[in-house]
Amino acid sequence: MHSAKPTDVLLSARVSVRYGEKPPVLHDVEVSIRRGEVFGLIGQSGSGKSTLAMTILGLLDRKKSQVEGTIQFEGSNLLQLRERELRELRGCKIALVLQSPLSSLNPALKIRTQLKEAWRAHASGSASDCDAAIRAAMESVSLPASDEFLKKHPSQMSVGQAQRVLIAMATLHRPALLLADEATSALDVITQAEILTLFRQLNRTTGMSILYISHDLASVAGICDRIAILHQGTIVEVGPTGEVMANPRHEYTQKLMAAIPQIMRPIATATAASL
Amino acid sequence: MCTQHRKSFLISIAACFILAGSAFGQGELRFCLRSEPKTFEPLKVEDEASATIRYLTGGVLVRMNRQTQALEPELAQSWKVSKDGKQIIFKLRSGISFSDGTPFSAEDVAYTVQQLMDPALHSPTGDAFRSGPGNVETKIISPTQISITFPAPVAGLDHQFDQVAIMSAHSPKKEMAVLGPFMVDDYKPGASLLLKRNPNYWKTDEQGRHLPYIDSIRLDIQPNRDVEMLRFKRNELDLINTLDSEYFDKLGAISPQLVHDAGPSLDSEQMWFNEVAKSPLPAYKKAWFRSEAFRRAISEAINREDLSRVVFRGHAQPAVGPVSPANKFWFNAKLKPESYSPDTALKALQAEGFRMENGTLKDKDGNAVVFSIITNSGNKYRERMATMIQDDLQKIGVHVNVVTLDFPSLIERMTQSFDYEAILLGLTNVGLDPNEQMNVWLSSSDNHQWNPSEKAPETAWEAEIDKLMREQASSADPKKRKEAFDRVQEIVFEEAPFIYLVNRNALSAVAANVQGASPVILVPQTYWNVERISLK
Amino acid sequence: MRIGRATTWRGAACAVLLLVAGVSLAANWIAPEGYAKQYREAADAPPSHAHWLGTDEIGRDRFARVLYGTRISLLLAPAAALLSTLMAALIGGLSGYLGGAWSRAAMAVTDLFLSLPWLFLLITVRAVLPLNVSPLFSVLVTFLILGLLGWTSAARVLCATSATLRDSDFVRQARASGIGAVRLFWMHVLPNLKPVLYAQFWISIPAFILSEANLGILGLGVAEPMPSWGSLLKELEGLVSVGEEPWKLVPLILLAIVVTSFQFVLARQEEAAA
Repeated sequence: MHSAKPTDVLLSARVSVRYGEKPPVLHDVEVSIRRGEVFGLIGQSGSGKSTLAMTILGLLDRKKSQVEGTIQFEGSNLLQLRERELRELRGCKIALVLQSPLSSLNPALKIRTQLKEAWRAHASGSASDCDAAIRAAMESVSLPASDEFLKKHPSQMSVGQAQRVLIAMATLHRPALLLADEATSALDVITQAEILTLFRQLNRTTGMSILYISHDLASVAGICDRIAILHQGTIVEVGPTGEVMANPRHEYTQKLMAAIPQIMRPIATATAASL
Repeated sequence: MCTQHRKSFLISIAACFILAGSAFGQGELRFCLRSEPKTFEPLKVEDEASATIRYLTGGVLVRMNRQTQALEPELAQSWKVSKDGKQIIFKLRSGISFSDGTPFSAEDVAYTVQQLMDPALHSPTGDAFRSGPGNVETKIISPTQISITFPAPVAGLDHQFDQVAIMSAHSPKKEMAVLGPFMVDDYKPGASLLLKRNPNYWKTDEQGRHLPYIDSIRLDIQPNRDVEMLRFKRNELDLINTLDSEYFDKLGAISPQLVHDAGPSLDSEQMWFNEVAKSPLPAYKKAWFRSEAFRRAISEAINREDLSRVVFRGHAQPAVGPVSPANKFWFNAKLKPESYSPDTALKALQAEGFRMENGTLKDKDGNAVVFSIITNSGNKYRERMATMIQDDLQKIGVHVNVVTLDFPSLIERMTQSFDYEAILLGLTNVGLDPNEQMNVWLSSSDNHQWNPSEKAPETAWEAEIDKLMREQASSADPKKRKEAFDRVQEIVFEEAPFIYLVNRNALSAVAANVQGASPVILVPQTYWNVERISLK
Repeated sequence: MRIGRATTWRGAACAVLLLVAGVSLAANWIAPEGYAKQYREAADAPPSHAHWLGTDEIGRDRFARVLYGTRISLLLAPAAALLSTLMAALIGGLSGYLGGAWSRAAMAVTDLFLSLPWLFLLITVRAVLPLNVSPLFSVLVTFLILGLLGWTSAARVLCATSATLRDSDFVRQARASGIGAVRLFWMHVLPNLKPVLYAQFWISIPAFILSEANLGILGLGVAEPMPSWGSLLKELEGLVSVGEEPWKLVPLILLAIVVTSFQFVLARQEEAAA
């Protein structure tokens, strides 16, 4: 973010999504993510946060949902791309990290196989190229790239390790945008902090933008440059983290702030202020 | 639990009887019916189970002694068949009543015969008497004398009355009023049938005691032979008819006094080739099967001794022809079973232009002699016989494929599509008279299996069989009939349209507490003399 | 320790299977007289030096028949089981994965298969086949039929399982990684169907071995004189006194051992997959 101009927009979306005849899940949601920034999207469960991530990746069931609007990313409207073009983007330019690391890894496969599969999806190269890429990705998430480790099945790892593997897999092709959907919510506090640090670190070293989706304002505040508050399918507030937290205007944001335990508030605001 | 209690109860009852020293007029005889009886009306009997009930409850004018095969007086004291074989006069016993007390007289016989011959009733028993068009005439000469005249001669007329249970013309109980030793007391469909002693039964033994000795007969409906065997072993049954040879040996190994081998029965196992001209077989195969030399050679190459000894564990005899040696009067004693001689068979085939090439027999056009034998699946004896025949014929270079088919498919091939080469099946003979085989031997018959429903006899020998069978059927002279049927047996032996394999022995088991049973080959084997059977 | 013991069991199971397969393949040398020779003077004989497992009802050496029968059944039953497993995986797994109309169509076909009057169809098959076919051809056709028909119940389970997998996090994650549909099915869905597939496979083996014997009543299955486990087991039908002739149980015991061994060997795969 430091090298990028604040106005250099990577992705700008303005979408409405509805499932069938029900009221829209996302109603005219406008989000723009700048190159190199960590953008937080905060909202309760059911507020449509995950739907946004799926919409960006084009992974919504097209038969069951109607999407209106535009999602501009690197010069094209993602909503108008064909499946094949979207597939080219997924994992390569835009990657995803999901909430529950253990269920997001295939229980039947060794992690090496899973990483290999992710690599193969966008690269054709020799086995040693693949190995090198996997090694690099593992190192970037501070995991051992040893054979012994790579031979493990997801069930043989800790939750934190599994989440790092997922992040390694997501960043294998150095995507421009990483969608982290509740990526730390299932973790214990210490691991959560570690993973958040890792995200921040990756963001700094690779310049990759992160759309950080969470229900937990406190945990997100620490790493996000800007945040948007999603409430009942619409964005009620958006701005630099410090501003929003210091001066919540919308009623819902105020409630969110009030929900943060007193002891954490100074830290959160302090961190935000220091940015 | 329950059976346990009942068993010990029965044992204690039995103990009481022994203590009381009373051997007669007591106890219950138990055995199995292998299927549900279809009817209690004696004239409508078609199935085995109903025939059993008819035998036990029905009174007949004359009865063939199942041991001596001679005809004996029953309700009729004497009888006389006219020269032309159309008329029979019975002299009846007097003072006899039906089970419900209705007196018996010539009227009842007349009524029964009219019913028997009534076209509307379609009595299967009546079929044997329907030798020509027209009505039967019954003339009651006196209450104890009746003359019955049929429109055409009936072969073995007196013998046929063995199957005719006399019904009451007047009893309100209809067919449930009987003249036999037992009467139906209770029927639980699907489970069992209880017969009770007929208190009005007319017969007494030499000491003047009323027959039958036993009080009741319990018939359990049980189609499963394994269960039947098991229950016999547990002393829950007293008799088993047509015992399986394996069971016979197993049971005999433990208690030899319980099993009885009465020698060869009337039943035969046989195979035949498809000689149907319009069958879908290739012409060269039809030529083999229609060749008498080929059929005889195959017959000679089959080791019947081994079939009897191995498949039936010795409880069978090599068969000669359509009449079992057990049929004392009708069997042609001049004939001997085809002796096993593969060398002769091969020579005969070579004389016909067949030749051996590398262990395979080929016909004169070079076609390898391969054919299939089909038999009904689930009959292990037939499957084993077919497998042994397969092995035997391999020795003369003939390759046999054994195919087991479900019965409906087999019958369909045998009678409809004629899409088969050879069939191995058995034939159950209940009666002794050659007339019962009429439908098999007449070339125009549907049951003329090797080539059914011929418009005119296709071969001279079939024409001769037709002629002989008609001759014997229309004659009342037993000697002439015997001559004709002897000749039929000779022709069948020479032409081998059926290759007779074995006559199975009549095997049975009788529990140790049953006295007076003397199993025979004829149905109903173990209880043919049921009125004289008693229980210890 | 636990793993060590399990491995020993698996090793033993593998060894048993290899031994059984090896011995049956060597049948020509071990029993040079073949399976069809009838020692008619010694029919239904108890075990002896000449006939280790005695002879059958028409005097054929039971040991030789077990050897040759093993060769037939041990080769063909797993092959048919594999066929039915693959069909179940393709039809059930793929339709569940594709979902929607595909899955409805596949389940309709499965229901149709389950409800068809097989007895009559099999009778038709027998009617269409010529009567003069070699015993080997007959048994091959039978196992082929079994393989082609045996997939239905497993397909139902697989369809449901793969429909669940389709909506699972890891499949979503994999799709988000840009993995294509075919690859996704192959690498991410199919491996997770393995437990069901393995179950289908090893349950099918004994089921097919027995079905082959039962199809004998329709004139299908192995024909005389060739033996199969099915035809050897048929010998046990109505056996009154097993206790007195325990050697007749050998084919049954062998079947049990082989099936159990298969289970042990496959359990390893399954565990590794889980």
